[in-house]
Amino acid sequence: MKKYTILLISTAFIATAVAAASTPQLMIGFGSEAPNTIWYGINTVFTGDWQQYGALFTSLQAGLFSRLFLLVLTLIPAVFLIHYILIGPKRFSHDGSDILFFPLVSRLIHWLAAISFSLLVITGLMVIFGRLLGGGSPLMAARIVHLVSALLFSGTAVCMFLIWLKDMLPMPHDILWLFIMGGYLSKKKKPVPAAKFNAGQKMWFWLATVGGGAMAYTGWYLYTFQATTDMLRIYAIIHNFLGAALVALFLTHLYMSLFAISGSLRSMISGYKPREEVEILHSRYHRL
Amino acid sequence: MARMKFLCDIERCIDCSGCVVACKEGNHIPVGVNRRRVITLNQGKPGEKSISVACMHCADAPCIAVCPVDAIYQRDDGIVLVSKKTCIGCGYCFMACPFGAPQFPAGQTFGARGAMDKCTFCAGGPEETFSAEERKLYGQNRIAEGKVPLCAAMCATKALMAGDADVVADVYRKRVFERGTGANAWGWDKAYKRE
Repeated sequence: MKKYTILLISTAFIATAVAAASTPQLMIGFGSEAPNTIWYGINTVFTGDWQQYGALFTSLQAGLFSRLFLLVLTLIPAVFLIHYILIGPKRFSHDGSDILFFPLVSRLIHWLAAISFSLLVITGLMVIFGRLLGGGSPLMAARIVHLVSALLFSGTAVCMFLIWLKDMLPMPHDILWLFIMGGYLSKKKKPVPAAKFNAGQKMWFWLATVGGGAMAYTGWYLYTFQATTDMLRIYAIIHNFLGAALVALFLTHLYMSLFAISGSLRSMISGYKPREEVEILHSRYHRL
Repeated sequence: MARMKFLCDIERCIDCSGCVVACKEGNHIPVGVNRRRVITLNQGKPGEKSISVACMHCADAPCIAVCPVDAIYQRDDGIVLVSKKTCIGCGYCFMACPFGAPQFPAGQTFGARGAMDKCTFCAGGPEETFSAEERKLYGQNRIAEGKVPLCAAMCATKALMAGDADVVADVYRKRVFERGTGANAWGWDKAYKRE
């Protein structure tokens, strides 16, 4: 009888052991992997690859961006001030006949773009130098103005792109224009190689339209936040660098239209340029 | 000066989300804003682990470095706080944060982001302590009352600890020692049976 009891117990014991052995799942996670594997899993969910774009964005935004914009805002006006003092504005005779340069529609589009773009620059700089303004609701409002003017500018940028695309295509003589810096480094009135628009204007055109498109695209995601965190970081970096380039050429455009060529502003109001100015600055214009 | 820190013991966290609910209810957090969240890895499998994470109140915090209006600041006890009246909702802190802590409730105009909201370690904000305004903008100021944050106080398994870093670390160290996870020396897990 005792024998049978031992046999029964040992059979039950072996059966239990076999059952336990057939469930190796329970053993997973015990000793089969490195003890810190779980930390990598948590890192993946929470911090991602922060060292890649997170650290890059943090270091750029913590110092470089505001310094870059400060440099653009001080260096470029300083260079133009020196240019204005040493070389001075170009003056052309307004006695001769005038040449139609900007028809009404393109002038209208230009001024809509000018207003919205100026607002974009001002509100953008307000955010970048926000700590000087103390933050709060005025800057919150600036962000809204930035959004509304961005929507307006996007529309006008498309129009400008279509209106001026043909005249803005790069030409071989643009290289010559760049070599002599458009003749702005001398006081002499010598015809410079340029058709309706010179190489400088073309640079501004392509940066404002194509670059403006990139600004709109990245800005839209920075506004809606409908992208992965890493993409937001990349968009913010692009938006800031491209913004600095746009502000630089915006200041150049302001200087050229307001100071460097006397009476240049009037051509965008009336649409006409004096014949002498076109003969010198746009010597290859087909309507000359 | 004590340095305030959070510590979530993943051997104890059971994904009950009590901390999340306590934080949201106790501080009247708007819908869509999560100052604290719990994630679970290997859910339903052996080796399942959960962890509760909010703002870590980092030393040399990236959010403070990138804020264009200096709205974020750090107290002497290490707690990182935001001034909601200064914040402009630009979202840079969210991009800089490794833990996804900064949250943005929808603002009033065009659905633009409002001022940033994040874990305050239940220490209120820059407004006057215990004022109605502080409570409305930031929630409770339990640190000034001498209490631990709501999430840690609520935690049923005491997985989530908050307080003076030295004390928290001591408790955790003692737990790790008592649990006896072994020497964790290379090869031991393969060569020997787990004691």
